[in-house]
Amino acid sequence: MTARAEWTKLRTLPSTAWLLLALVVATVVFSALSVSAVDIARCPSPTECFEDTTRVSLWGVRVAQLAVVVLAVLAVTNEYASGLIGTTLAANPRRGTVLAAKAGVVTALVLAAAVPGVLGSLLVGRMILPGNGFSAANGYPPPSLLDEPTLRAVIGTVLYLGLVALLAVGVGTALRDTAGAIVAVLVLLYTAPVLVQLIGDPKWQHRLEKAAPMTSGLAVQATTALERQPIGPWAGLGVLAIWAGAALLAGALLFRYRDA
Amino acid sequence: MTTTTTPPGTGLGTSGSRLGAPGFGRLVRAEWTKLRSVPRWGLIMLAAVGLTILVSLLSASGSSFQANLVAPPPTGPEGGQVTDTFRFVHQPLSGDGTITARVRGLAAIEGPNHPWAKAGIMVKDGTTPGARYAAMLFTPGHGVRWQTNFVVDEAGSIASGEPWLRLTRTGDTVTGYESTDGTDWREAGSVELTGLPATAEVGIFVASPPSDRVERQFNGTSVTSRPTWSTARFDNVGVRPASGQQPATWTDEAIGMVEQAKPNAPGAGRVAPVAPDAPAGLDGPGVPPAALLSGVPDATGASTVTGTGDVAPRAVDEDLTRMSLSGALIGLMPIVALGALFITAEYRRGMIRTTFAASPRRGRVVLAKAVVVAGVTFAVGLVTCVTAFLVTQPSQRDSGFVPPLFPDRSLTDWPVARAVLGTALVLALVAVFSLALGAILRRSAGAITVVVLLMVLPQMVAGALPLTAARWMMRLLPSAGFSIQQTNPRYEHVSTVCLPETGCMPDSPWLGVAVLAGYVVVAVAAACWLVRRRDA
Repeated sequence: MTARAEWTKLRTLPSTAWLLLALVVATVVFSALSVSAVDIARCPSPTECFEDTTRVSLWGVRVAQLAVVVLAVLAVTNEYASGLIGTTLAANPRRGTVLAAKAGVVTALVLAAAVPGVLGSLLVGRMILPGNGFSAANGYPPPSLLDEPTLRAVIGTVLYLGLVALLAVGVGTALRDTAGAIVAVLVLLYTAPVLVQLIGDPKWQHRLEKAAPMTSGLAVQATTALERQPIGPWAGLGVLAIWAGAALLAGALLFRYRDA
Repeated sequence: MTTTTTPPGTGLGTSGSRLGAPGFGRLVRAEWTKLRSVPRWGLIMLAAVGLTILVSLLSASGSSFQANLVAPPPTGPEGGQVTDTFRFVHQPLSGDGTITARVRGLAAIEGPNHPWAKAGIMVKDGTTPGARYAAMLFTPGHGVRWQTNFVVDEAGSIASGEPWLRLTRTGDTVTGYESTDGTDWREAGSVELTGLPATAEVGIFVASPPSDRVERQFNGTSVTSRPTWSTARFDNVGVRPASGQQPATWTDEAIGMVEQAKPNAPGAGRVAPVAPDAPAGLDGPGVPPAALLSGVPDATGASTVTGTGDVAPRAVDEDLTRMSLSGALIGLMPIVALGALFITAEYRRGMIRTTFAASPRRGRVVLAKAVVVAGVTFAVGLVTCVTAFLVTQPSQRDSGFVPPLFPDRSLTDWPVARAVLGTALVLALVAVFSLALGAILRRSAGAITVVVLLMVLPQMVAGALPLTAARWMMRLLPSAGFSIQQTNPRYEHVSTVCLPETGCMPDSPWLGVAVLAGYVVVAVAAACWLVRRRDA
């Protein structure tokens, strides 16, 4: 019942639909941008491009996750801003259930929107890549869901977005403030990838990529040269899950023991 | 004696405001009171300070440099580090005199010509690398140039062909001339080389800078630099001392090279000049055959000279000051939040109606808020940047960025001061940009997302775009403001690799800030117009 109430609240916000649409569109558009940017002509020879075509095709989530962060944070902090949280807790005083229902509904919505976004990106990649020379003849079969690594990357990317939503719900619950929570999640996510480009030492780059939520979580997108990734695909997603779990736990504890 | 006094609180204040509307100074004070009386905003500021310093420290200790692998470069007469490696066929010239030569062609031994390969004539204060000089030279890509003391580079009028070049020494003054036919001379430049000894070295020279090959793949970029060799043919080479003496004999010398025996070469015992950073094995592609290794002009003044290296300021890739301030890229996110909240919080709580009732001229409210938020972020940003600069110095030295390759820097050096002040300015501009977007959108979530998207994402996206697209993106988006953090001087006559994904901005420092300021002005104007037009 709580889940249903949360669903109604989220569904009737106009921003929810827009943000989910933005998630799908941004994923596909930015993925299309990245696949258009790779070209076999810039490699030493066609077979020496070493591009991970699946990973390039799914690149758009790095930008599109912004929509997930905003959606998930707003689902929590909007209630605090409008005072609705008092009503919600009066109707259902079991705060753990309220938070679980909220997190569940938000994550379900994000996962539902992530599937078409990610599949659309893969499809766009399949359409554009051969034109840039990444054809089967050059040793780059089009990314297909029938390949186990590509399937792992697709499922992993969808789960990645779900985990980002959980992370944002956790931070939003802990901070109760839209601006603060959005910025906190963005700092958590984007610091590592920006910093990695600025520091030169590969040892430090790997350390950072292993520990930070975004870089480790997106390791799941790798389908080739896994041994050169900072962390294994599922292990990387596990690191992100730990971040999300910690944020949710902090949010839940604060939610439970703090006045609303 | 009577005096008229204006009773307090009546009529026009000193600020000349209209009756009933508070003066701008009072508006600013009111906004300042609002800002400082919300403890949460103080916390946000603290977060910005902490993040900036922490990320800068991480970036400084996470970079490393193996200083022992690179020989310390010579220092030029103007003070900066220089590259001074070239083939010089020279003779001493006592007192005043003239050297003339015609360049009959300049081509790379292998591969395409380097646009800044150089063949020409030079007057130099001895053969020590870094010594002062004046040169007239021809380049395949940029025609005839007049260059002196590494940093000065001026274009001549001849773009291609087989130019005649001449240098004349009169006292300490050296003047360069160019000609298409050897009879009609045009002055290309003149310089006073203070302290040039009575006997200077004059001669013909060839240099050929290393060519950079950039391989940008989606997931990483590699830049490989390899030496190139170019051969120039000269004729009509002649040195005429003003004293009327006979010219001295020629010496063929590789300046600034590590002399290294070339094994297995025909004509054993020959010595091939090697640039200090050239790979050890010398039999690779592009190395000239032994026959090309002597360039002394024959009786008719004709000569063929093959050279490698460059005579130019040394291009440094690592910008330590930018590294010290790199945390600002992350630290600006809390500042974005502060800027947006400073107005969206008022919309959220209905306070904005009180504000507008107290000051009906709404545009001025937005401007007062902008002044306050800019002043506060600039002050806090300045303290943060100075701190970040100071605390990252020890980590940078630990990471191998030590003199003489990386001279000590201080806050009083203008490029450093410019970067520090400029970063604080960028933070203030971003805060105002965020405030204006907050006024336009009236929602903190939207305003913050848009500003972060425009400021931080280009840095992330750059590596995934083709180089030209990435450069234009860095030029046109507000994140261009970060070009103020660059302190390494750039020279037109030195080709460098500028990759946006490593933080290198294509534009000059102030141009980038101007782009950001342009966005801010447009956003503030739109905000002023909208708040007047819309119900609060």
